[in-house]
Amino acid sequence: MGILFHKGGMLTTVQDEGRFGYQQYGVSPAGPMDVRSFKLGNLLVGNRLSESALEVTVVGPEICFKEANVIAITGADLCPQINGAEIPNYQAVLVQKDDVLSFGGRRSGMRAYIAFAGGLDVPVVMGSKATLIRSSLGGAWGRAIKDGDDLPFCAPKTFLPNLSRRRLPPERFFANEIVLRVIPGPQEDSFTLQGIRHFFWDGAKISSEFDRMGCRLECSPIEHRGDGSIITDGVAFGSVQVPPSGQPIIMLADRQSTGGYPKIGTVASVDLPLLAQAMPGYRLRFVQVSIETAQMLYCRQLNYLKDVQRSFTPHIGQQLEQWRPKIEGY
Amino acid sequence: MSAKFLIAGDQAISVQFGETICMETNRQVMMLHHNLQEYPHPGILETVPSYSSLMVHYHPEIVGCQTMKTLLAERISQMKEAAAAMATVTEIPVLYGGEYGMDLEACARQENISTEELIRIHAGHDYYIYMLGFAPGHPYTARFAEPFTYKRLATPRAWLVGGSVVIVENLSNILPFDQPCGWNSIGHTPVKLCDYQKEFPFLLKAGEWIRFIPVDEKEYQAIKKQADQGQYQVRRYQKEMESKAVK
Repeated sequence: MGILFHKGGMLTTVQDEGRFGYQQYGVSPAGPMDVRSFKLGNLLVGNRLSESALEVTVVGPEICFKEANVIAITGADLCPQINGAEIPNYQAVLVQKDDVLSFGGRRSGMRAYIAFAGGLDVPVVMGSKATLIRSSLGGAWGRAIKDGDDLPFCAPKTFLPNLSRRRLPPERFFANEIVLRVIPGPQEDSFTLQGIRHFFWDGAKISSEFDRMGCRLECSPIEHRGDGSIITDGVAFGSVQVPPSGQPIIMLADRQSTGGYPKIGTVASVDLPLLAQAMPGYRLRFVQVSIETAQMLYCRQLNYLKDVQRSFTPHIGQQLEQWRPKIEGY
Repeated sequence: MSAKFLIAGDQAISVQFGETICMETNRQVMMLHHNLQEYPHPGILETVPSYSSLMVHYHPEIVGCQTMKTLLAERISQMKEAAAAMATVTEIPVLYGGEYGMDLEACARQENISTEELIRIHAGHDYYIYMLGFAPGHPYTARFAEPFTYKRLATPRAWLVGGSVVIVENLSNILPFDQPCGWNSIGHTPVKLCDYQKEFPFLLKAGEWIRFIPVDEKEYQAIKKQADQGQYQVRRYQKEMESKAVK
């Protein structure tokens, strides 16, 4: 039961919110590259925000449903189709037994999320269903989905309240050039003023070395004050490390928990989805933002997600109210 | 006790206790790490110790950056070192030389000592674990006496098997998984540093110590058999913290 993969696609993995609490033992958190699209997918099918879903990369899989369920596809527009007929992104869709979901080709973005009502039934490893391929950990057999794999559902649904209203305006992902807001630090003093100006003024190009672990950029070298190394310390989602070569690397979902290169800044959480949906060759520009602004933007995004959830399930609105995030000072 | 707070994006802050790799600094890192684990705050997602700083991953919707700094500063000011701090030592059985310890003889030659002498020195004291990182269960250890100055291999090996005990300069380490490595391999441990079959997969923690125990081929095989079945129990004991003796 559940789903059978006729084709695995280019890189399809099971992800949930991520594996937290184990970075102190050297385990990368993994989780979705585009957290916002991932969460919106779950909301559309009535799941909690952190429920397991599929992350699909550029070339989608072909999936045969062995039982009916409600699904939603968010993130990149890869022309999803059911039995050859196109279905909309960002909308809950009831899929019947023996239906086949396939993807026609990439229109925009890089990574799509397929959320299933009730989530996917894969083992929970260290508190998470997220796949970390590098360590053969979690998800489906610790690896990307292959042709012929099958995955069971946890609790499939053939009905959801307000099914026809469960739709959102699709997010547009811009091509060729994107702007990312960056909070300076933690080691901006490891760079010359020249180096920092160069980073913020001139931007960089996304190289072909762009995977779930990190995104290597191409630009004329960013100048270090010292030798381009620091005492190894913690790494965050979006940390912009600059190795001695002067070519930055933005650390992403499968990042190592620690690193020994100075970090000129960290991409604001709300802008990471834009990077996750960008392709090699795109130009990046960086705009400096304060920590206060970045945190306010993040809290607004959480409020937006809560509002979306409330709009789908008006009857539990009151319950939700209690855990609406409190924003300090706003 | 002073600490610097470095902004690592909108969901993490790095608490830096110093700018050198030394035990005094690392012990402060571990004290804050333990404090936040023992008395957790709902706004904190997880903490990651490294040599001289503690990365605090947090939820900005619960605690903003300024409040987080205040909270951490308070915790730091409250930290007190236990009077007689005890340290955990884990014994790691090692088969020196042989198939996986292919650099043992070359290393002994380089130092102009016998392989027996090298093993005696290598297994002669405890190693402090500063942090884990790079791969699940991968320790970053240090030694404090400095009798060795082994060079890194000119060409890193594309593959060293998990369990390899490796040395470079005055450092020694164990690899939990197969990986490329430029260090000299002098032996192999059958003990698993990370075993996903176990409820808690990791053998070692930051802030603990390890000691290498030489074993012969027969003991090695016996331990390996048990370890492969998840049955082997390493020997652990408490010792009094060495503090001022170390550099």
